[in-house]
Amino acid sequence: MRLTPGPARDIDLDSVDLFDLDLYTSGDPHPIWDVMRAKAPLHHQVLPDGREFWSVTRHEDVCRVLGDHREFTSERGTTPTHVGVDDPAAGKLLTSTDPPRHTEVRRPLGSKLTARAVKSWEDSIRGTIQRFLEPALEGESFDLAERALLLPAMVTGPLLGIPEKDWEELVQLTAMVTAPSDPHFMVGHEAATLAISHHELVNYVTEWVKRRRAAGGEDDTLLAHLMSVRAGGVPLTDEEIALDGYSILLGANVTTPHTVSGTVQALIERPEQFEKAQADPSLIPDLVEEGLRWTSAACNFMRYAVDDVEIAGGTIPARAAVVAWIGSANRDESQFTDPHTFDITRSNAKRHVAFGFGPHFCIGAPLARMTLRIFFEELLQRFGSIELAGEPQHLRSYFIAGMTHLPIVAQKRKTP
Amino acid sequence: MERQAAPSSAPVSLGQEIAQLWAEYLDCEIGPEDDFFALGGNSLSGIKIIERVAQDYGVQLSVRDFYLAQTPARVAELIEQGRAGT
Repeated sequence: MRLTPGPARDIDLDSVDLFDLDLYTSGDPHPIWDVMRAKAPLHHQVLPDGREFWSVTRHEDVCRVLGDHREFTSERGTTPTHVGVDDPAAGKLLTSTDPPRHTEVRRPLGSKLTARAVKSWEDSIRGTIQRFLEPALEGESFDLAERALLLPAMVTGPLLGIPEKDWEELVQLTAMVTAPSDPHFMVGHEAATLAISHHELVNYVTEWVKRRRAAGGEDDTLLAHLMSVRAGGVPLTDEEIALDGYSILLGANVTTPHTVSGTVQALIERPEQFEKAQADPSLIPDLVEEGLRWTSAACNFMRYAVDDVEIAGGTIPARAAVVAWIGSANRDESQFTDPHTFDITRSNAKRHVAFGFGPHFCIGAPLARMTLRIFFEELLQRFGSIELAGEPQHLRSYFIAGMTHLPIVAQKRKTP
Repeated sequence: MERQAAPSSAPVSLGQEIAQLWAEYLDCEIGPEDDFFALGGNSLSGIKIIERVAQDYGVQLSVRDFYLAQTPARVAELIEQGRAGT
């Protein structure tokens, strides 16, 4: 989807289809969300097959839906792929579990991923990013979006315990989950692509766990840690380990690449912002927050209303699906002045909800923030200028806002 | 040997057996030509079905082939091919 919206246009909210994949591949959803926030902050849509969902688009309402599990449960599924069909992994998968169970599983995992814990990986991540950026400076066209798909695997592979030979296959599989009808990733058709990718990822973790058990001994990787998590005094079942391992692989792989490419694209389009960051590297953490807000790679999450609930001037009926549009909340004018302006000096960019909000706030956020900071430190230090070398192509997904191609040409910086 | 020359190598009865096996995991009545996804099949039921096929028929189906085959009749063909090919 376009991150810089085109001109406002006439929008009929009664006929708008928020799950129209073309809207995200080649269209412009921001002007629609702008009108929704202003005129229909609680929006109702019926899909052609009869399934229904409600949408909230304002920052405040998105935070409430994502933040209050008593009113809005995760236990029937949290991705709009599953709207109206209860997620078969609900209650077993950490992301589809409410507190208190959720807290019991999350706490021991989160302790390995705090800002302090991830700090010890900084040097090795910097080395990885330097290697990643090197070929971009060889003077030829470098497809940043395509290459960046592999970046999280390069960064997190060693931490998770995934050997390099498996990275490409896993990245392909996680991309299939997020965009099952994108021609880059589709196998056969959409439903088969989703089932194949889910199945093979769960199989991968299951086999990994088997090998780990057979090998015995100590192992400090995150996947091994998952095997030792005790929730309420009881270890996770093998199925829970496989599903949560799947979820960690997915969370690691599918969002960060798009924040990288979308933020670089924003800097290419705004050379004055690029120069500002280059002149004052202390702005880089703010650049990262603005990049997260601007790209909102996780475009939405879903919850189900537990009872009838009043929100955004209307009522969502009990048991109905509610989609919280993160991409819209991060452009809410009541929260962010001139929301469609990319500004690395924005004082409150950090109030974005790109990592979600509440109990399911992204567990990998400290690692993602550090990786993005290092990425832009290295990029700004090495690159004198960046130009587009072809048309960007957008990911065919209403769930992940991202790019499949962003060809760039970069010049080395002369006085680093 | 003669079977390999036939356009569809799986006997009808195997297709029906597979349909019955699916029914245990998909919780509905199933015919050999029914579509896995239309029946509400997903990767969690697929994982269990592929495990059962390996156990009961000694054939390890490829994940991709299974989901692209999509009907009990075509999965029966994959099982026949698996038996013939090994």
